[in-house]
Amino acid sequence: MADSGNEERLVQELQRELEHELARPLDDAELQRIKELVRAQLEAELRAKQRRAAQEKEQEEYFVRFSMNFCLQHLVLAIGVILLTITGLPIKFHDSAWAEFIFRNIWSLEVNRVIHRVGASLLMLVSVWHIGWLMTREGRRELRELLPRVKDFWDFIANVKFMLGLSSERPRFGRYSYSEKFEYWALVWGTAVMVLSGLMLWFHRIALAYLPKYIFDVALQAHSGEALLAILALITWHMYHAHLNPEVFPMNMTIFTGKISKKRLMEEHPLEYEQIMRERAEAEQP
Amino acid sequence: MKRLIALAVIIGSAIIVSSWPSYGQRDPNARCLLECHGKPDFKREVAPGQFKSLYVDYEQFKASVHKEKLCVDCHTDVTVIPHQRRPEQIHCLQCHYQGNVVGAPVSERPEKYKESVHGKAFERGDPNAPDCKSCHTVHAVRPPTDPLSPVYRANIPKTCASCHVEIYTEYLEGVHGQALRNNVLESAVCSDCHREHDLFPPDDPRSSLHPQNVANTCARCHTDVKIMERRGVPVKQVEAFKKSFHGIAIEFGILRSANCVSCHEYHKILSSRDPRSPIHPLNLAQTCGQCHPNASSNVARGRFHIIPSDPDAGIVFWVYEFYRWLTIVMTAGFIFYIVLDLYGRWRHARRSSHG
Ligand code: HEC
Ligand code: HEC
Ligand code: HEC
Ligand code: HEC
Ligand code: HEC
Ligand code: HEC
Ligand code: HEC
Ligand code: HEC
Repeated sequence: MADSGNEERLVQELQRELEHELARPLDDAELQRIKELVRAQLEAELRAKQRRAAQEKEQEEYFVRFSMNFCLQHLVLAIGVILLTITGLPIKFHDSAWAEFIFRNIWSLEVNRVIHRVGASLLMLVSVWHIGWLMTREGRRELRELLPRVKDFWDFIANVKFMLGLSSERPRFGRYSYSEKFEYWALVWGTAVMVLSGLMLWFHRIALAYLPKYIFDVALQAHSGEALLAILALITWHMYHAHLNPEVFPMNMTIFTGKISKKRLMEEHPLEYEQIMRERAEAEQP
Repeated sequence: MKRLIALAVIIGSAIIVSSWPSYGQRDPNARCLLECHGKPDFKREVAPGQFKSLYVDYEQFKASVHKEKLCVDCHTDVTVIPHQRRPEQIHCLQCHYQGNVVGAPVSERPEKYKESVHGKAFERGDPNAPDCKSCHTVHAVRPPTDPLSPVYRANIPKTCASCHVEIYTEYLEGVHGQALRNNVLESAVCSDCHREHDLFPPDDPRSSLHPQNVANTCARCHTDVKIMERRGVPVKQVEAFKKSFHGIAIEFGILRSANCVSCHEYHKILSSRDPRSPIHPLNLAQTCGQCHPNASSNVARGRFHIIPSDPDAGIVFWVYEFYRWLTIVMTAGFIFYIVLDLYGRWRHARRSSHG
């Protein structure tokens, strides 16, 4: 409506000017021509404005949180862990009816062992890859961000207070919150235990030659215990933080796309947001 | 003279009859026995110069499980005595089959004999293969509970030994044979492991000694707390085996894995304290080495047949406990934290929508 009013006003103005210059009234054909020109001009302006607005929004609203390399590491890890879980659980719970169903109807134990080893290979691949990556500039920076600090402990206390309503403000997190750091280091520990004990089981032929049997039994028990702990952590802690949490439900895509919206960045990692802004401002200054 | 002879016969037979307490005139079996089958030297010429005894020891018969039966209950084609033709060959299975109406017990499924190694060999005409009578006798069958029966527990190994004598001597050296000799009747005899009638070669899935069935065969006794406690043998081996990877592998079809007898031998099973035993610590490397070529004496360092949840498992038990408690505490903590977080968010959302 406003646009069509605007258009009419412009047409009238032009008409008045032209009539004044030519000193005669414009005929209908001329008037029609003016109207078309004005409309085309206005439409072009509107399109340009929209394009600019969209570009701005894109730049403003999204930040790159993870590099492509990091996202790929997570993807390979996820596939490995899923393969290990679906083939590890039926061995651990081999007495149960569902495990029996799987082994008798879906895949045999022999196939199960092969898939488990494929999953283990992916996990080991990503571990080596990750360690190599930690040596790069990007990796070293991430590692620094991931190191636990005293602040994490106070953040935790503050967050619990907030949840209980004892304080009205959430603690302000940096690039990684205490819960993310916790999950990362739990994963590092779990992978170390699983890979070491798993290699012993995989290469039991060699292990039986050099290691006492009780070491082997301990490894087996640790493998089984740590696996269950990790799976339970995944379906509670990880599931909640990456999927079920109202802020990201049904799924937090950041780890796959690498991007995070400005809104979420400001809410979840305010200190990092501030730092990014500071760095940008510094870069823009001559 | 004729009367004298007749008198002598009557008196003579009266003496015989009265001196033979088992069958009086009223015994319906008497007609079979009196003149023929009751005489120890009663025999038939099967080939020139070769005789087959047709004697039936009636005293034994009267002590047998079939004492109530008449000769003609089993030999059904004998209708007139003395019979004119040679009676048909008969078989115990004409009564002892599943669903018979004469009340012949079949709890051990005797008709399975037909499919067994022995039955098949007998069918092939193997002269050494056993038929029912090789293990039970024909007319002196006694129930398995009778100490005089060849199938009484303590006598079974000897019964089998009539054909499998080498195995018998091996068996006698093992713990089960030793125990049986010491009158421990709970010990394993041949038929506990092999079954008596449905006795199949171990590569047949129906066999009690098929790799997948061995553990359950041993389990019949080795999970029985009462028997094992009395003999001072631990009872958790079978459970522990089924939890071990060997047991899981066997159960789900990886038959090259180890079952009880791969490690313990079978006829000469010996205690781990016996230096001849394959599970003696000094021999263990060789035992595992059958399948794990690199196994060294290290395999003897540590306990075997452990159940992680059992304090006997030593250090493995502590690892188990550590992870058990860690898992419980962590998972409870996670769930508690999540509930708290949701509560915090909900409260916050409500407050800001009010504000
Ligand atoms: C419980 C059933 C049963 C009863 C009762 C029984 N028998 Fe038999 N008898 C058999 C069977 C079975 C055989 C065949 C054994 C064999 O396979 O050689 C047999 C075989 C015989 C034979 C040998 C036949 C041969 O050709 O080798 C004689 C003789 C005989 N019985 C006599 C008797 C007499 C006499 C009585 C009564 C006192 C009697 N039986 C009662 C089951 C019975
Ligand atoms: C006429 C049918 C008949 C025939 C043939 C027969 N049996 Fe029996 N058998 C019986 C009956 C009936 C009983 C139960 C007797 C009783 O408990 O009083 C029995 C009992 C037995 C028992 C004791 C089972 C127990 O658990 O107490 C054995 C062992 C046995 N028979 C073996 C044989 C053998 C071996 C043959 C062949 C030589 C044979 N039977 C032939 C009918 C038969
Ligand atoms: C290789 C030896 C062997 C042969 C052959 C054999 N048995 Fe047995 N049978 C045994 C033994 C051992 C037992 C005792 C089982 C037990 O301890 O309960 C037995 C028990 C029995 C019983 C008593 C248990 C029951 O079922 O109630 C019967 C009946 C019997 N056998 C019938 C037969 C018949 C019929 C045949 C022939 C088809 C036969 N057996 C062949 C060894 C044999
Ligand atoms: C009358 C002799 C005889 C008696 C008694 C006898 N067996 Fe046998 N058994 C044989 C013969 C013959 C074979 C061989 C069958 C073949 O060649 O397939 C055999 C085979 C076997 C086999 C299979 C061997 C293999 O190579 O797989 C087993 C197991 C066995 N007997 C166990 C027993 C047991 C247990 C008993 C006692 C309950 C017993 N036998 C009593 C004659 C006998
Ligand atoms: C503790 C259980 C057990 C007992 C008791 C036992 N056996 Fe065996 N027997 C076995 C096993 C297991 C095998 C081997 C199966 C295989 O080859 O995988 C076997 C094999 C056999 C064979 C096949 C030949 C061989 O050596 O491989 C014969 C025959 C045999 N047993 C007879 C007997 C006789 C006879 C007795 C009694 C004196 C007896 N067994 C007692 C478990 C037992
Ligand atoms: C019928 C019951 C029975 C069966 C079946 C049986 N066992 Fe046994 N077993 C015993 C008894 C009873 C003893 C204790 C003997 C004694 O008193 O020394 C024993 C002892 C042993 C021992 C020695 C324990 C020690 O510390 O001295 C071993 C090992 C063993 N059995 C293994 C087996 C295996 C393996 C099987 C299966 C192939 C098996 N048994 C089947 C009853 C059985
Ligand atoms: C009859 C063969 C056989 C014997 C004997 C045997 N094993 Fe095994 N074992 C296997 C097989 C098959 C596997 C499955 C893994 C594979 O494919 O190598 C296995 C797996 C294992 C594993 C790996 C378990 C896992 O969780 O991955 C260990 C450890 C082991 N055996 C130890 C032993 C020891 C110790 C002994 C001696 C006391 C022994 N084995 C005797 C066949 C055997
Ligand atoms: C992989 C090899 C292996 C298998 C499979 C195996 N055992 Fe054992 N078993 C051993 C060893 C080694 C010992 C020595 C005891 C120890 O170190 O605790 C033993 C000990 C035992 C004992 C205690 C006797 C003693 O002398 O200490 C019994 C009973 C026994 N086993 C029964 C079984 C039964 C039943 C099965 C099958 C369900 C079985 N075992 C399967 C290796 C094995």
